[in-house]
Amino acid sequence: MELGREVLDQQVIDARGVAMGKVDGVVLELREGEPARVAGLVIGGTTLLWRIHAGLARWAERRLGGEGHVTRIPWHRVLKIGVDVKVDVEAEASPASHWERWVRDRIIGRIPGA
Amino acid sequence: MASEVRLERLLGKLVVDAFGLPFGRIEDVIAEPQGDEYLVTHLLIGPNSRLAQLLASAHELPTLRALGLGRRPRVRRVPWSWFDLTDPDRPQLRRSVADDGQEGTRA
Amino acid sequence: MSKLLEIALGLVTGIGGFLEAGSLATSAQAGAEFGYQLIWAIALGAICIAFLVEMGGRLAAVSHHPLPDAMRERFGIRFFLVPLLAVALVSFLVLASEIGGVCLALQFTTGVAFRWWALPVAAALWLFLWKGTFGLVEQGASLLGLVTLSFAAGALKLHPALHQVGAALLPSLPTHDPAKYWFMAVSILGASVSPYLFYFYSAGAVEDEWDEGYLGINRAVAGLGMTFGGAVAVAVLVCAALVLHPRGIQVDRYEQVPLILTEPLGLWGFRLFAASLAVACFGAALEIALLLAYLVAQGFGWRWGENVRPRHAARFALVYSAALLLGGLVIVTGLDPLKLTIFSMALTALSLPVTVMPLLVLMNDPDYLGDRTNGWLSNAAVLCVSVLAAVVALVTIPLQIFGS
Repeated sequence: MELGREVLDQQVIDARGVAMGKVDGVVLELREGEPARVAGLVIGGTTLLWRIHAGLARWAERRLGGEGHVTRIPWHRVLKIGVDVKVDVEAEASPASHWERWVRDRIIGRIPGA
Repeated sequence: MASEVRLERLLGKLVVDAFGLPFGRIEDVIAEPQGDEYLVTHLLIGPNSRLAQLLASAHELPTLRALGLGRRPRVRRVPWSWFDLTDPDRPQLRRSVADDGQEGTRA
Repeated sequence: MSKLLEIALGLVTGIGGFLEAGSLATSAQAGAEFGYQLIWAIALGAICIAFLVEMGGRLAAVSHHPLPDAMRERFGIRFFLVPLLAVALVSFLVLASEIGGVCLALQFTTGVAFRWWALPVAAALWLFLWKGTFGLVEQGASLLGLVTLSFAAGALKLHPALHQVGAALLPSLPTHDPAKYWFMAVSILGASVSPYLFYFYSAGAVEDEWDEGYLGINRAVAGLGMTFGGAVAVAVLVCAALVLHPRGIQVDRYEQVPLILTEPLGLWGFRLFAASLAVACFGAALEIALLLAYLVAQGFGWRWGENVRPRHAARFALVYSAALLLGGLVIVTGLDPLKLTIFSMALTALSLPVTVMPLLVLMNDPDYLGDRTNGWLSNAAVLCVSVLAAVVALVTIPLQIFGS
């Protein structure tokens, strides 16, 4: 499996079929004397910034005091990789939907008819 | 002792060999299933010049290819064990390209 | 729904959706200044957009990815951001132009200056998207868009010499003012080959859940829809050519444009002109606002969809709401909508290589299209037109700004 082509930047769908973001990053665990293993996926936070401009990402992490609202999905919770990446996680409960919930509760949800 | 490295930060990085000579850029990371896990087996290394990358993109468009504008990129599958990733921003080959006359198999 | 009905609806969308502020303004200007001469530009634009729209539909139907989603996946974030920003910026300017178009129509009818209509119009557009469904936007706006057929009625009433119209389908060199001629040709191309059209069509194919069985319909809708739509734009040009050109009226002020229908159709011509302008621009504005939301939401993997309630796709709804508000604010400033329209059309042409190339690469990638990748004709046609349009735009835009 070519991780960059088949996993990175794919749409992530949660256990309920809800869109959860894109695979912004993939974690590889380096082990002494053994081949590295694919540890999991990363969604959100400053992950994308690192791919756009490292300096910008470093600045953002200094300001935020960390990676921001990032979701890490361990590899064993990845169910299927095909047209999209299906995971056994709930979007609503995860940091991935922090900004979606924020916009829903603070802005969109306050407008009648939402 | 385990440490982690991010795939997305490896892609596009220039790999140098044991003598510090440029070897190529990381195009992709290949992992194979083993039991429940996926283990990294190879890195796909492509050309290190921006021009070669541009020509490779042109190669993907049949019209440009027909016009003779693209160049098939030279991409090599290099075993993971050949790499030293103690500094993920500066990946290194543990051996020089001249070692045992092989640069890894062509992809 | 039967296939024939689907094609009919697609046709209506093409006719009703093709004409908007950009094609109206550029076709009218071209007819006023150069008579029939620039009809070839409309034809070329229509052919090119037909290819692109077909591609957008095919990509969605075969890969089940809308275009922005596929672009992010295929190119990674860095090479996604470049076309994203280009399409977003250009489309936003066109959105403001469309809002301006609706406001102008209201000014013509009521006498109240267009800038005071900007925020009410933006609010009306917003309400449509907030409460409406994708079907309502796609089909409602398009059915109403059939009122633009009044230009065809007007053109026929003016008895154009049809053999002259036909002859103008072939490109010809200008007899005067070549810089303006080529600038207009490029603006017409920008008006016809607007990225929002094929990006939106692609998103629509996914909203409507197309699959490989729809490929025939897709081709019919793209081909026939854009052909008939282009014919309406030609009708606008013919009206301008027969009404304004003989009088030497150059369209540099928007008050002059309704003349092209009032002469053949009298008072009804005026009403139909205002209605056509309002409806065409309203529909286009809805599509562009939605498109901006699709671009961002699908590119970043957020929840999206016009058929879901706003609270279930909150950031998606935020993007189209913000776009409409900002677009309205641009018109509130009193910026001349006609100048804004012409400028954004030229800018669209200039940006074509950047906005079209990602789609072209995807359409040749068997990972996405299987064995339905592009034939040589689609590739060549689109590649040629985009590159040519950009080159000519690069030359003529500065000349236009600094020359006149």
